[in-house]
Amino acid sequence: MSGRHSRSASIPIPSAGSATARTMSLENAIPIPSLLSSRLPATPAPARRDRDTSPDDRRLPYTPGGAVPPRRIVPRSFSAGTGAAPVPTFEPRIIRATTTTNPRDAACIPLPLGTSSSAASVSGAGLPGSTSPVRPRRMSANMRSTTLPGSSALSTSAQHRSASYAHTAHTPSAPQPHGFPRPAYLEYSALRDLLQSDATPSASASRHGLSPSLAPSLSLSTTTTHPSYFGRATSSPSPYPYLRRELTPVADSDEESNASPPPVPPPGASSSMASALAEYPALRLPTRWSEQDRHPSLTVSADGRDLTFFGQSCAGDRDSAAARANYPMPPACGIYYYEVEILHRGSKGHISIGFSAGDVRLSRLPGWEKQSWGYHADDGCAFQGQKDGSSYGPTFDSGDVIGCGIDFSQNRAFYTKNGAFLGMVFDSIFPAAATPFELFPAIGLRHNAESVRANFGAAPFRYAIADHVRAQRDKVWVEVMRRPVDWGILSARDAERESGEQREREEHADAEGEAGAGMVRSGLGLGSAGNVLEEEEAKAPLRKLVLAYLAHHGYARTARAFQARCAQTGSVLVPGRALATVEGAGAGAAGEEMDTDEGEFVPSSEPVPGPSSAKADADPFTADLETRIAVVNALLAGDVDAALTSLQTHHPAALEWDGGRVLFKLRCRRFVELVLQAGEALRKVREVERELKAASEARAATDGGTGEHMMNGAAEADEAAMLDGEDGVQDEMDADLDMVGAMDIDDNISTPEPISHSHSAPHSSSTSQPPLVASSSAPSAIPSSDTDASAQLDVSSAGPSSSVHATLSAHAKSLLHSALEYGQALEAEYKADTRPGVRTHLRRTFGVVAYEDPERASGEVALVAGQGARAALAAEVNQTILESQGLPAHPALETLFRQAGACVAQLGLMGVGKAVFADVRREFLEE
Amino acid sequence: MPPPKVTILQEEWERRLHEVHVSKQDLNRLVMDYLVIEGYKSAAEEFSQEAGINSSVDFDSIESRMNIREALQRGDVSDAITKVNDLNPEILDTNPALYFRLQQQKLIEYIRQGRIEEALQFAQEELAPRGEESPEFLSELEKTMALLAFESSPQAPPTISELLSPAQRMRTAGEVNAAILESLSQGKEAKLVSLLRLLCWGESLLEERAEFPKLDLNDGTFSREGK
Repeated sequence: MSGRHSRSASIPIPSAGSATARTMSLENAIPIPSLLSSRLPATPAPARRDRDTSPDDRRLPYTPGGAVPPRRIVPRSFSAGTGAAPVPTFEPRIIRATTTTNPRDAACIPLPLGTSSSAASVSGAGLPGSTSPVRPRRMSANMRSTTLPGSSALSTSAQHRSASYAHTAHTPSAPQPHGFPRPAYLEYSALRDLLQSDATPSASASRHGLSPSLAPSLSLSTTTTHPSYFGRATSSPSPYPYLRRELTPVADSDEESNASPPPVPPPGASSSMASALAEYPALRLPTRWSEQDRHPSLTVSADGRDLTFFGQSCAGDRDSAAARANYPMPPACGIYYYEVEILHRGSKGHISIGFSAGDVRLSRLPGWEKQSWGYHADDGCAFQGQKDGSSYGPTFDSGDVIGCGIDFSQNRAFYTKNGAFLGMVFDSIFPAAATPFELFPAIGLRHNAESVRANFGAAPFRYAIADHVRAQRDKVWVEVMRRPVDWGILSARDAERESGEQREREEHADAEGEAGAGMVRSGLGLGSAGNVLEEEEAKAPLRKLVLAYLAHHGYARTARAFQARCAQTGSVLVPGRALATVEGAGAGAAGEEMDTDEGEFVPSSEPVPGPSSAKADADPFTADLETRIAVVNALLAGDVDAALTSLQTHHPAALEWDGGRVLFKLRCRRFVELVLQAGEALRKVREVERELKAASEARAATDGGTGEHMMNGAAEADEAAMLDGEDGVQDEMDADLDMVGAMDIDDNISTPEPISHSHSAPHSSSTSQPPLVASSSAPSAIPSSDTDASAQLDVSSAGPSSSVHATLSAHAKSLLHSALEYGQALEAEYKADTRPGVRTHLRRTFGVVAYEDPERASGEVALVAGQGARAALAAEVNQTILESQGLPAHPALETLFRQAGACVAQLGLMGVGKAVFADVRREFLEE
Repeated sequence: MPPPKVTILQEEWERRLHEVHVSKQDLNRLVMDYLVIEGYKSAAEEFSQEAGINSSVDFDSIESRMNIREALQRGDVSDAITKVNDLNPEILDTNPALYFRLQQQKLIEYIRQGRIEEALQFAQEELAPRGEESPEFLSELEKTMALLAFESSPQAPPTISELLSPAQRMRTAGEVNAAILESLSQGKEAKLVSLLRLLCWGESLLEERAEFPKLDLNDGTFSREGK
């Protein structure tokens, strides 16, 4: 590492002279952590660990009608009941909540004990308060899992509340008007967690045990709180710009969110969710008949489910009385279904069950007016916006249960009678040319005393709708999977995507000229043989994606093995391609394809030095990869110096990138590491103090020379063990690193020198420190006192412990001074820097000093000091190195996944029903 | 007139992308699935160590699967059949269509090599009886035999001549591969390939309704129509 010292000047560290001179004043000015620690509460900030519940909860099997309470809640409430003191005060209140008659009132039901206020305090300012249906739900989940120490009563009450809900669900007699869980069949929608069936979302959340993260496929990011430190203009097209908006990429794939709950950043979690949801107010599910949107002759029961005709029966053929549900049916359901029991058919049975747009007249039966559809009891006919119906199903009578389903994925509807499917009906509910409009469940009655009772999902359905929906989802998925992989679509330039065929053809002609740029052209209009070839060819770019992914995350051995294998496969395939062109399949493109074949072993923007690139060892890409891995591993191990040195040698551009963002953060991290080291040293001092004290007490007690000897011996042994314990710490750390796994290649790789430093424990004072990068200008005190200390320790291990104590204590002090001086220099250098991100980050960094053991503190401090922060910084540095080389900050493979998920979600939100049956997470990530 | 397209701005789309929840572990599993299904045995082994993924897959089965595929791609059908039976005799026993496909491929290889007499004998002994089993087999057999008629002519109709193409070998290899994967209770296609299908499907559906930044997988950048 010859470059280390020569580069050190760029790290400003105060000179050693001043360090000693200012010793006393510094110590007085800055509170020593140990003094503070006892007074400080564990954490003032909410720890955000709620994620840990998500993976399981998401897959909760649903019981129709919610007869069975969610698994997760029950054990919790049991434990609350047995372990903690029960909080009976809340139970009655909850039950009352469920009996509220008006769903719009229900939204205002106060959440139990402080949930709302906590939510308000936790959530970011300036958010639409309760307009988001999901935000409170998340909050309640937060409340349960992130309660502050000492507020166990609060969490208990939350659990208790959910327990009482679960209990309510078990009791059929309990009134349960519109608070009901999302019906099971809706679990097949990719956007299921956006669908709100309950007027009190937080209650529904606790009842469901829903994942606090919004949805598997739509779970909203948690990182928006950290504003961009360096507002970087993203030019279009920019690589992965979406990840650049925050500094700590905790919510992207670099974080092992499944393995361990990541340090989820604070309030913003819910804020981003709220804002995202605020754009889509249309995802409330119908829960009852509307009090307002009904003909005056119809009466709605208190629970909102019964509709009864009271009054003068309608005389003329044109006269009827209709009612609509309180919310439209969201197409994001994929399929929406509700059932109606005929309580009283009346004399004529002029009952229509169906759905209509929100502005259709209420004085007509659904199906008679345009934009309304209905199935009529008296003749079994189905009416589609006109006076004449077509024969569809059987007539129905009192006691029958009629189900009505709208299949947004097929743009059709269906009915069931007493649990039997009656067939698909109504074509093109939404005409292709029309702007989508809202559709409400609707019922029409005509005669006095006619009465129906609707089930919007509060009770089990008669028809096996969940099976029906699953079958339809599978059908859609088969359709999706029949879609050929058209690499042209996925890689073409803008213009080629224009739908105009003429233009497309022209562009293709152009593109052929530039196809050498690594673009694989897909043959158009080929026969089946062509398709096979096409599929094979689609695999070449996929290989490139996978290789780039492996390289990105530093899976070097895998990348090499993969590359080697690709080279072999390529040679097998090449003759095939040559033959293919003879067949005329892809005439003219042969040359380019050959080129592509060679190039595909190397990430696209790397220089491709021809066939030799297949040789892994000589590959610049591999060499680069190793230095990158070394940097990341050094950071994970807390060795900022090694990382900086390596960066300066191999990736100087990364340090300059984005206004020196990474350099700044590395320096901040260096400060934190210094503080951690000092803290570790201080703890050691106190330990020795305790031992000394114990020893002297023992001496006083035994009052004998041999006793003294023994005690000293014991203390020394302890000390030795303690010092040896560094290894233990190191092992622990290694284990941690494996867990973190941002770059889990720290062994078995022949690495350049820097990586050797990665094994020095960051917070250990007695292991040999790598020389400071800035040793020329920095306090030589640190390394020298370090070695001094070690030397003296070696000597002192044979001598009295008090001298050990003195040495240790001096060592700790000097470490602390170095840390503080480094911090002051840092502050001085960036004093003039007005970028808000810099200020915030500096402030947060200095906050670490206040804690005795910041790594193990909870809350904000741990986020700055702990291993998670190291991992986040390592990931960011990794990204920045790649970016500075013109590579995407995130592997294209990840963006591919996100793009697919975003397309599907967007389609679902725009009313394309079948899109919600393509659930990226379920299909690709869950076993 | 269809409703006007919605325009989704870059920034909004970025948020959408960010909202998609996917972790590095998720992606690692997808990559592992890819390595296994596509037959990168040593890479899969390394990856399971480096990324700490436990794969339920027997890595040796990857190798034999790949050997079979390579045998078919270089035209050695007999070798492939032997290897399939070594791996699991039930695969061909329970799948007569697949077995026919392999026999047909063998016939094609005879013809390709100009071993006409062997081709005829093989057709008569092995394939003709099977052609009686199903009309589909028969038509395939007829098509294959037609190759003889066009043997030295470049003017063969495409449906005939494509039998000699590498695509035909690949298709056969692909069918065998899928059957083996199925016998091992694995997906017959790498999930990453399915993901590409989904992306094609989703982007083209969305394209009808909205202007949005599209992904160029060549370099992982986004681009927008009519930029």
